[in-house]
Amino acid sequence: MKPQEPIPHNYPMRKLNLIFALTSLGLLAVTGVMVMYDYVRGWKWFQLEFNRIQAERIQQELTSKNDAETRKRLAGIERDMKAGQVEIARNRNAYLEAQKALDEWEGKHYAADQNYRFAKAVLDAKRYELEAATVQHRHDVKERQREYDTRNAHLAQLNLTLQEVTRNRDAARARVDTFLKRIKQLEDQKKDLTANADLLNKQLRGVAMSSDNMILNAPMLDFINPTLKIDQVVLNDLFIEMNYMSVPRVDRCMTCHRAIDRPGFESKKEAERLAAELQTKLDRNLVQPSKRAEMEARVAALRRIVDGPRDMMNPFRTHPKLDTFVGSSSPHPLLEMGCTVCHRGQDRATEFGRAGHTPMSLRMEQRWKKSMPFFPSVKDYEKRNWGYEVNPFLDTPMYPREHSEAGCLKCHSGQMEVGEGEKINKATHMVELYGCHACHKISNWRFTDLQKPGPSLEGIAEKTTPAFAFRWIANPTHFRPTTRMPSFFYQRNMIGPDVSASERAQNIKYQDAEIHAIVTYLFSKSTHRAWSAPTGGDAARGKELVNSIGCMGCHIAQDTVKDEKTGVVRVAKRDDFPLERHFGFNLTGVGSKTNPAWIFNWVKNPKAYDPLAPMPSLRLSESEAADITAYLMSLQKPRFMQEPVRPPSASAVRELAKAYLVNTLTDVDANTKLRSMSDHDQLVYLGQRSIEKYGCYSCHDIKGFDGLKPIGTELTVEGSKTLHLFDFGFAHDYEAHDGKHEHILHTVPSWVYTKVRSPRVYDDKRAKPYNDKLKMPNFHLSPEEAQLVTSVVLGLTKEKVSENRLASRDARHRAVEEMRKIVSQRNCRACHVVNRAGRAIGPMIADTNFLPPDLTPQGGRAQSPWLFSFLKDPTVMKIRPWMNVRMPTFGFSDHEAATIVSGFAAEGNEPQFETMRYEIPPQQNVAIGREVYAMLRCAQCHSTTPVDPANPPLPNVADAQSLAPNLTLSKLRLRHDWIADWIRRPGEMIPDTRMPANFPRDPETGGFRSPLAGAIDTPQFAGHKAALLPYFANEEALRKTMGDAVALTNYLRDYIWSVGLNQMRNPGAGPVTPAPQPQPVTPPAPVQQTARAGSR
Amino acid sequence: MSLRKYLNLLFALLLVFAVACGGGKEVVDEKDLGEDDGAPPATAAGDTSATAAPATAAPVAVADAATVSGLVKFEGAAAKMPTIQMGADPFCASQHSTPVADEEVVVGPGGELANVIVWVKNAPAGPAPKTPAVLDQHGCKYVPHVSAVQAGQPIEIKNSDATLHNVHAMPKVNSAFNEGQPVQGMTSTKKFDKVEMTPFRIKCDVHGWMKSYMVVLPHGYHSVSQMNGTFSIANLPPGNYTLVAWHEKYGQQEQPVTVGAKETKQVTFTFKG
Repeated sequence: MKPQEPIPHNYPMRKLNLIFALTSLGLLAVTGVMVMYDYVRGWKWFQLEFNRIQAERIQQELTSKNDAETRKRLAGIERDMKAGQVEIARNRNAYLEAQKALDEWEGKHYAADQNYRFAKAVLDAKRYELEAATVQHRHDVKERQREYDTRNAHLAQLNLTLQEVTRNRDAARARVDTFLKRIKQLEDQKKDLTANADLLNKQLRGVAMSSDNMILNAPMLDFINPTLKIDQVVLNDLFIEMNYMSVPRVDRCMTCHRAIDRPGFESKKEAERLAAELQTKLDRNLVQPSKRAEMEARVAALRRIVDGPRDMMNPFRTHPKLDTFVGSSSPHPLLEMGCTVCHRGQDRATEFGRAGHTPMSLRMEQRWKKSMPFFPSVKDYEKRNWGYEVNPFLDTPMYPREHSEAGCLKCHSGQMEVGEGEKINKATHMVELYGCHACHKISNWRFTDLQKPGPSLEGIAEKTTPAFAFRWIANPTHFRPTTRMPSFFYQRNMIGPDVSASERAQNIKYQDAEIHAIVTYLFSKSTHRAWSAPTGGDAARGKELVNSIGCMGCHIAQDTVKDEKTGVVRVAKRDDFPLERHFGFNLTGVGSKTNPAWIFNWVKNPKAYDPLAPMPSLRLSESEAADITAYLMSLQKPRFMQEPVRPPSASAVRELAKAYLVNTLTDVDANTKLRSMSDHDQLVYLGQRSIEKYGCYSCHDIKGFDGLKPIGTELTVEGSKTLHLFDFGFAHDYEAHDGKHEHILHTVPSWVYTKVRSPRVYDDKRAKPYNDKLKMPNFHLSPEEAQLVTSVVLGLTKEKVSENRLASRDARHRAVEEMRKIVSQRNCRACHVVNRAGRAIGPMIADTNFLPPDLTPQGGRAQSPWLFSFLKDPTVMKIRPWMNVRMPTFGFSDHEAATIVSGFAAEGNEPQFETMRYEIPPQQNVAIGREVYAMLRCAQCHSTTPVDPANPPLPNVADAQSLAPNLTLSKLRLRHDWIADWIRRPGEMIPDTRMPANFPRDPETGGFRSPLAGAIDTPQFAGHKAALLPYFANEEALRKTMGDAVALTNYLRDYIWSVGLNQMRNPGAGPVTPAPQPQPVTPPAPVQQTARAGSR
Repeated sequence: MSLRKYLNLLFALLLVFAVACGGGKEVVDEKDLGEDDGAPPATAAGDTSATAAPATAAPVAVADAATVSGLVKFEGAAAKMPTIQMGADPFCASQHSTPVADEEVVVGPGGELANVIVWVKNAPAGPAPKTPAVLDQHGCKYVPHVSAVQAGQPIEIKNSDATLHNVHAMPKVNSAFNEGQPVQGMTSTKKFDKVEMTPFRIKCDVHGWMKSYMVVLPHGYHSVSQMNGTFSIANLPPGNYTLVAWHEKYGQQEQPVTVGAKETKQVTFTFKG
């Protein structure tokens, strides 16, 4: 053959081959990289790590279950099983025969059953033919009938046969079973022992890194049925805002946070806290007996976590407070609420950075920023280097940890308080008290229909002097360090370090002018009613009164506090006192502010000065009022009144006034107008404009400013405002009013915090004309206060929640919430415990016997008609005449009082109107009750002597009887069934009550024990026993009743009902006429029967 | 270029990659861990709380047992105790022929202070005894006026009077209770399960003058000073201890004491009025 000639090519083939090979390899590499990039996801690492942790735990449990004893028992069972097998072998023949018989009978049964069923089917066919023939009136009806009947009889016969055969077969089976029974028993025992282990092994297979799982999760194959997959919950009625659309949330957080809803993965701190909480519940018998064992097991598991070697790391931790959040039995289960509705963040994200995780502190942020190695290990998780980058494009980053309660407001803004939300409750209470809602509109139920936070200024001339008013407006904290009135003037953007010296001087002149103008305006428009001054008045007695009748619940009277630990005396801060005591102003220095005539008439009847004043009337007599006036006038602050006041500069006034005039007039006309106005008129004009500018009318009632819109930015959806819309100005650091150095981060929470803490810092280094400078005043908030207010602002978002998810929507809850709004607005918690919190006045009263009552059970306890009368006029019934603290006459309108009453009734789940008060208890019950009353010696504390409810006798405090309510008042006041409940468990309703538990609970059964059970047979009670015996069938029945706490308390209730008064006075005229001094009343003398002539 | 050169280049690149992408290891800073909790990580063993009971000790051989006894003295002018007005309850008034003084400060004839609870602060915990401590209401007064019990020890509260008393205990750590005892001679048995080293008040709401104080200890090494100021704590294992003396008005004092085997140590406390 001729050797082939080489084929000519145009290109060097070797080179081409090489390039092709390299590019193919390159393409393969790129494809590989693409697949890898898609396949290697962060959340898979977390899931793998979590599986590893779970596998470790299961292994531990398996080894612990596989202990010596279990092994011994298993070995024992195996032995027995072998023995059983041996026995069968011995009786082999009998067993085989029994088995053969069983097989025969099985066969027969099968045949009989089949025959039966076939016959039944044929019968159905015959039935059809018969019915068809009947209906069609055919001639062969009779034949058909006959056929049907024979078939029917045949079927019955077959049925009997079948039953017989079945019986025989079952017998045969039983005979075989006797041989196998023993083995079956043993198998069941074995299953019991190993059931748990089997379950654990099954779980282990699910999480362990087996080769099956690896194939399922392999790249390119993992679309079929992977074990590592994204976990999500779709929430159709909770929405997130996406560019003009509200879409349902799809939360994918649990992809990495695997154990968030599972108990058993708590951090040590949380486990300890939760164990202590649950243990307290167990100790106090607050747990149902059926649930005790479960809770004890849970506490034991938590304690094991606390004692364990390592702390569980995030993201594998259980959510704290699992019973309140996220747990399946909590009010916010994971599958119904998801995560982002409370924590915010990007719901659909599956990467750490995209999800919007927010670090809690700068240090945490720096740690997060470090990146993780490509194949992380446990040590790397512990270091928490997530490779985090701040993402400025996120609209909804997560709330920082300190603001996590902000999310409550989405659903709970129809409530006054969120259960267990201490921080958010304090925050909303602060917002309400300091009056943010007054200048900044917030269209939430929580912040609407609230009273103005400041007093009315319409009568200011009657109350104080321009000298005081100027100094006050210029610098409220100089007079009153704890005041709620913010500082409008001389702030950092006017005279701060960033302002040039010349501008500063100018600003000071302007500010002076404005304050003078405002003062002039207010005093010129004020009313000038005359108030009569008091005559006499003892300041020492006044001080005693102020400290005892209840003023200290709403007011403070001190400027300094003594630090408990160091003993150092320092200036008081708002935080030193509960919020309720800031409701009324701090009384220190009031003598310098106002005059005796005004105080005298104010304390007697505040509503005469201002019909909308929140201050109630304490029904003071003339002499009491005079004493209090003398005392208050003695509280002076002369140094404040000596602070120098610069007179207004005429040029400044003119310039400022002109700046306003040129808005509507030309320059020339403005000048003309100014020249025509006197100095006083100019001031008045400037004052009006300044009040408009600074928005004083938002917090105070001022003549001429009715109905104007609030001046501040609306905050209803401020939490949804994106970061780039906030003006950070040029400020990065600042020193706050209390000297603390603060740093501004470029985040929304930081902006809001800074704004609230030092509002004008965003004007630093800016060039602005005077009237354009920031106007928000400084409220002197401490860092904690500012944090709380920031939480509220962050929580006001526009993310919608579907109606049926809002809290407290039904009629009953709305009634309760309306009542709670009035309770908050009138500051009832200053003296009373309402809904388990409050009683700010408590520490002021030394003797706990004299505390105002706890109103937590009030709904179920008090009858609504009585409560209405009492609220309108507390003198209608004095239940606790020994108390010094007076229930004030608030001057509620009928509507307000009715709202409160219906709210309490709704809270206690009771109706407002009932007929029980007209019921007359059976005579027998009353008699028995009377005896029980005597046996339990109730009379040692309670009186059943009728008294005038409005004027009960003055108590002798050493007399125990005077420190318990008079029981004749119960029928008008208390609900019928509540009385028995109260007698049984007073300590559970009001924990620190003086009423003893006469029927203590039995810790094992949870029932009530009766002290009379054994006592009825003792000689001391013989008289009582004899008196009671006629009402019972026999002694046994009597003894049984004496041991039945429920029956006894019902008898007591009937007795108390029978001695009750039927009538009380109608609510009085109101606070105008103070109540007369209580006079000691001697009990009514028994009516003497005058001897009549002729009778015996 | 030749194939060999290409392959060499590729190999070199791969080598470079492998070395560079190893990633640096950083030292784990133990202090940084646990910051996400919001609290600094536990400086572990440091902060065992004062109320944590120390480990149970082996039972003491009687032969080795030591005793600490002593005297509580009072210096200065004893506050004058007002007479209790029992008129409100005729039964109580009938129980006393002579006026009864408030029991807040009881000073003996030689300047000794009674009703001082003395206990050992750091003695080993022991199992709760079965014999109950008794608190009796007799003549409308609590007998004893102050007492110490062990955690878990049953407390028998008895009403020896033919009048209503209620027992209102106000502990801070244990669960409070308020039970009425209307029947003369009836007893209620209660128990405090948790150690409470600050004595708390037990009062009667019917008779405001009745007061008693109780402290709950993890062990039985306690004693109350008598009218002559003497107290005695027996069966103490030898060792170093701190002795605490508490009086309801004059506060708390501590003294260290060391006892050897079978030794009887005398300790004196002095309260100043």
